[in-house]
Amino acid sequence: MASVHVRDLRKRFGKTEVLKGVSVEVPNGSFAVLVGPSGCGKSTLLRTLAGLEEADEGTIHFDDRDVTRLAPRDRDIAMVFQSYALYPHLTVRDNLAFGLRLRKTPEAEIAARVAEASETLGLGPLLERLPKALSGGQRQRVAMGRAIVRRPSLFLFDEPLSNLDAALRAQVRVDIRKLHDRLGATSVYVTHDQVEAMTLADVIFVLNKGVVEQAGAPLEVFDRPATKFVAAFLGSPAMNFVDVRIERAEGGFRAAGQRGLSVALDAATFGDSLEDGRAAVLGVRPHEVELGEGGVSLAVDLVEALGPESYAHGDLGGGAFVARLDASSPVKKGEALPIRLRTVHLFDKETGTSLRGAR
Amino acid sequence: MKRSPRFVAAIVALVAAMLCATSAIAAPMRLWHAYRGEEQRALETLVKQYAPGEVELLALPYDAFGSKLAAAIPLGDGPDLFIDAHERLGDYRARRLVAPVGDALDEAAPFSAPALQAVQLDGQAFAVPLSQKCVALYVNTDLVRDDPRELEDLVALRATLPKDVFPLAYEAQGAYAHAAILAAFGGQLLDASDQLAFVGPAAERSVELVRGLLDQRVVPEDADGSLVTNLFRSGKAAFAISGPWLAADLGSAKELHYRVALLPRIRATGQLMRPLLTVESVMMSPKGAARAEVRALARKLASAEAASLRARVARTLPARGDVELPSGDRFLGTFAAQAALAIPMPSSRAMRATWEPVNRALRKVLRRDATAEVALAEAKRRFDDVRRPLPPPASPAPLAVLIGLGALVGAFQLVRSARDADYGAALRRSLPAYRYVLHAVIAIGVLVMLPLTIGAGTSLFAGGAGDTRYVGIANFVSILTARGGSLLSSGSFYLVLAVTCVWTVVNLFFHVTIGVALALVLSRPIMRLRAMYRVLLIIPWAVPSYVTALAWKGMFHRQFGAVTGVILGLNDLLGTHLEPIAWFSSFTTAFTANVATNVWLGFPFMMVVTLGALTGVPEEVLEAAEVDGATRWQRLRLVTLPMIRPTLMPSITLGAIWTFNMFNVVFLVSGGDPDGTTDILVSEAYRWAFTREAQYGYAAAYSVLIFLLLSGATRLSEWRRSAREARERAPVDAAAGAATAGVP
Amino acid sequence: MKRRVSPAESVAAHAVMVIAVAFALYPVLWVVALAFSGARPPAPHVLPLPTSPTLRPLLDVGGASRDGTWLFGRQLMNSIVVALATAGVGVGIAIPAAYALARFTVLGKEGGVRALLATQMFPTVASAVPLYLLLDALGLLNSRTGLVVCYASTSVPFAIFQLRAAFEAIPADLEEAAMVDGATRFEAFLRVVLPAARPAIAVTALFAFMSAYNEFILAATLLGREEMFTLPVVLQRFVGEYDAQWEHFAAGALVVSIPVMALFYVAQRHLVAGLTSGGVKG
Repeated sequence: MASVHVRDLRKRFGKTEVLKGVSVEVPNGSFAVLVGPSGCGKSTLLRTLAGLEEADEGTIHFDDRDVTRLAPRDRDIAMVFQSYALYPHLTVRDNLAFGLRLRKTPEAEIAARVAEASETLGLGPLLERLPKALSGGQRQRVAMGRAIVRRPSLFLFDEPLSNLDAALRAQVRVDIRKLHDRLGATSVYVTHDQVEAMTLADVIFVLNKGVVEQAGAPLEVFDRPATKFVAAFLGSPAMNFVDVRIERAEGGFRAAGQRGLSVALDAATFGDSLEDGRAAVLGVRPHEVELGEGGVSLAVDLVEALGPESYAHGDLGGGAFVARLDASSPVKKGEALPIRLRTVHLFDKETGTSLRGAR
Repeated sequence: MKRSPRFVAAIVALVAAMLCATSAIAAPMRLWHAYRGEEQRALETLVKQYAPGEVELLALPYDAFGSKLAAAIPLGDGPDLFIDAHERLGDYRARRLVAPVGDALDEAAPFSAPALQAVQLDGQAFAVPLSQKCVALYVNTDLVRDDPRELEDLVALRATLPKDVFPLAYEAQGAYAHAAILAAFGGQLLDASDQLAFVGPAAERSVELVRGLLDQRVVPEDADGSLVTNLFRSGKAAFAISGPWLAADLGSAKELHYRVALLPRIRATGQLMRPLLTVESVMMSPKGAARAEVRALARKLASAEAASLRARVARTLPARGDVELPSGDRFLGTFAAQAALAIPMPSSRAMRATWEPVNRALRKVLRRDATAEVALAEAKRRFDDVRRPLPPPASPAPLAVLIGLGALVGAFQLVRSARDADYGAALRRSLPAYRYVLHAVIAIGVLVMLPLTIGAGTSLFAGGAGDTRYVGIANFVSILTARGGSLLSSGSFYLVLAVTCVWTVVNLFFHVTIGVALALVLSRPIMRLRAMYRVLLIIPWAVPSYVTALAWKGMFHRQFGAVTGVILGLNDLLGTHLEPIAWFSSFTTAFTANVATNVWLGFPFMMVVTLGALTGVPEEVLEAAEVDGATRWQRLRLVTLPMIRPTLMPSITLGAIWTFNMFNVVFLVSGGDPDGTTDILVSEAYRWAFTREAQYGYAAAYSVLIFLLLSGATRLSEWRRSAREARERAPVDAAAGAATAGVP
Repeated sequence: MKRRVSPAESVAAHAVMVIAVAFALYPVLWVVALAFSGARPPAPHVLPLPTSPTLRPLLDVGGASRDGTWLFGRQLMNSIVVALATAGVGVGIAIPAAYALARFTVLGKEGGVRALLATQMFPTVASAVPLYLLLDALGLLNSRTGLVVCYASTSVPFAIFQLRAAFEAIPADLEEAAMVDGATRFEAFLRVVLPAARPAIAVTALFAFMSAYNEFILAATLLGREEMFTLPVVLQRFVGEYDAQWEHFAAGALVVSIPVMALFYVAQRHLVAGLTSGGVKG
């Protein structure tokens, strides 16, 4: 068990700077997820934590141990690779035992730990097989098993579910979290899938273009995205964005868009950022919409009925907009739907930072 | 501490043993030879008898004999004495491999005059004659009763003998056997002033006579030694012209009755045929000749007693007159009489440049590709071409300046990069990798690069041993200007280069297509008997190519080859009248024969490499392609081949290089026939080095040119490949941009 | 998933194989016929059958002995030992170098690879004598060790090429996993990369073995005692200045190729196993 402290990490490959001063704090025993689109630097950050890449600048501490320049084997970590990286020439049993053998663990202890891990993951019947005789899900479990027999103080996961089919993925996702809770070791998990990020994480780090855009508890990040990027990245369907201008009106400020769009803004939330005439982007999550007069009107051009809920696609203030509605809502294509926006986010038009005032 | 007394004792014992060894026993005498069978046994007996325990005998392959002498003697590693044919003396002397024999030659002994003459160079004896060898006439007494008086008498036999029996079998296409006929016309191969004498009316008439014999099927075509043996042994030839070695092969054929006779006269001139005489002799290296016991051994080996034993055991013909032949041995008696009529082969170095042009001219006329006059004139040109005067010595100054400049530029580069910070960083990053490659660099550098560099360096020199001179780039100039001849004449660099390129491309095409195709079939998971097929298919690679290449050559023989057998079989079966093909008489067919042989030799390698590469192609990618609707052919072309290409590329590149330099197939199968047209660059280089007066410098210049051509070609293809890859990758790069970094 | 295969397809595949095997074997059968008869048939025959079959050549070659020792057996051992040592040393030298070229960023990599390729381009016409001088200077003349050193270094460039491609095909993940599991880079190489590259190593070693096993010019030039000779040198002894004992040569050649085929039979197991399939692929 260890806490992870990454300070100002920089890494370049040739001319491209992949990590541009990244700082990450992962408390002891918590499950951290690094999430971001491909190319954001999350895998590089993970590999730097593993010691597979060497940082150009910055430091990494596990607890108060400086591991920045240590070889992977001296960091007391285990890693699950996206490709699983099972040793093709070794049976499942030997794959599990490989790391322990390297560390000259006594054979009896190895046997016990392998038995324990295979029990945990249900690998018993597979122990004598070679990796090529396993299915994708089984390989994934062996890769997990190889990590847990080591009892490391830190688990690293590099998109471990991306090669599984959707049903299995949901299942394994739950298993991983349960496993984490049982073992209690710190985990760092890389994914580009925001559902995984939201469901697994104690603390989430959203990376973009080599910097951490926002860190925090999943719901907090979801509810209060610090940037337009984070807001757009988390949540499905994605947040709607509409270009607006902030205008002073009687009783406070309003956001005014094209086609007569006008939304009242809560001065308590946005505070000083509200200036008359400021260009901004209005952000609304689809589920923050409810039917009702007195708000704005959505020109519906498509309705997706999913059963428990429906999505109305249309135009709001000159931009594409999606609204989540109850399945019972009588909405038809071509209608002008009166809706009210429960929560709105505002972002700076230029920098994309949230205009929400300090809490 | 405990161990030390024993250790000291061991050292003392060792030193004592070494002292004893050096003081008590003189260094053994080393005797090298290439004798086999009975001759080897006779030599071993004699050595045991004359110098028991003092001689280290080494029997070497004939093919490696000369090169081993040349490598070992100058270093003092060579033999003290060795046994070889006298005609190599001129060359050996020029390279200082032999020394005058001094008192090893018994002045009083009655050596035969031709033998004595043969071992003399400039009035000094450089070898001690042991035995003589020449050809005579073998007569199958079951088929014919009388010896022919004249060679032309044999034509009449054609009518009386069965259709598949030849009146006479001998190596008609070879200069060695032909020399006997030439002599009857008053001609010779080489004159006293080392000029090719195989020109003029006498030579032309001799060749025309043989052509007549061939045309009338008196003599078989393209007969080599083993064919002559086989024909005579199986009663398919009434007469044979061959040496005593034929008798050794006939020993096992119990039902055959034969005798030997003198070669007949030639009716046209009324003269006797006179074969070439080879005198096998003991020669001494300079080191050996200085040792009295070595000279004494040589003298004993040449004694009448020894000669008598050799005659008894191995039926060799003594080189001296006072040897009592086993009573009633008509065989040896006849050979003795024939040897007395024989003409010693010239021992001049020029002789080495004679065989190739004469053989080619002979074959050309016998194939009816040219008249005797034209072919012989060409032979003369070829000979003169090889014997052309050495280029004048050049000043080494330009080279020194060049090397100096090169060193300067190199040093400048070094300083510049040492100052470059990036370079330093890159160097530091590479340090761990250097640990992995260091031993490979040393091994290759010392044992591969260094000899090659030295070899390349000899391209700047000309002349054989004893007369080596620095000539600068004269060798290259001479090659690239086709030695002053037409640039498209036979043997010109450019023509040979074109042939080489076609050779490489055609071979590689078949190697890769056949190899890959077979591997694809073999890699099918359901294929039964895979293991068996796989092993059977690599057999061409497993059996030494020297013997299989000769089997191929045998299959292509026009009169006796299996291919002709197939053609005749087809004729019988279908009633067609296909003519057997004379494979080696036209470029296309000879080239085809070479290619067939080389494809056969080379496809297993490509197959094995492809099998290895195919294990890296995951099944589901193919299945995905199948699901995507790809046909079998599309899957192969669009999925499998692109996926194995990276693994195959190094092998294909190397295969191309090896094929470009594959000389032994060309040597063994077509031998350059017809007329040197199927020679490739590297076989030209070998001819200059080994059959044309050992012009190593010239051969090395060929090697350097080959090297430059190949490196140019690979650079070009590399450049084109990287350009193509850059093109293919460009749009992806632009789109992926930053993405590449995060997902390594 | 098993591919389904129609019987027609299977017959076709076997037909291809049978034709190919016939093509591969036909010339060799002539060699066999020669080895058991001692004569080329003096008429064009299609079937390679020995005329008046005899075991003489085979017994002559195989039974060669001197002073009570079985010379042929000794020389066969020489050949096998020299070739095995060549394969071992050559591949042993090549493996780390090929690995470094496949995995590390190395300054001068391009130049090095070019130089490797260059060694294959240069005909050896003029380099035998320098090599002889060199081995003499190293004190390796007249020894099987010297021969092995020569063969091994000539086989290294090819081996590096072959193995480099093979190593590049092995996912880097495997080594990284091993390193995270506690291996040093070298341990990861030794315990993960090498086993995964076994097929390629087997092929490369086989190739080095074959080239050493069939070589005779260098062997004849560098070795100075009959009991050190390798079999190709001995076989070459059957070819003389005036005549050649082809039946002996052929018999010897057949005997010589038996160990190679046995070796291939053993090595082919490694060729087939799709060992590189530990990851998500395959």
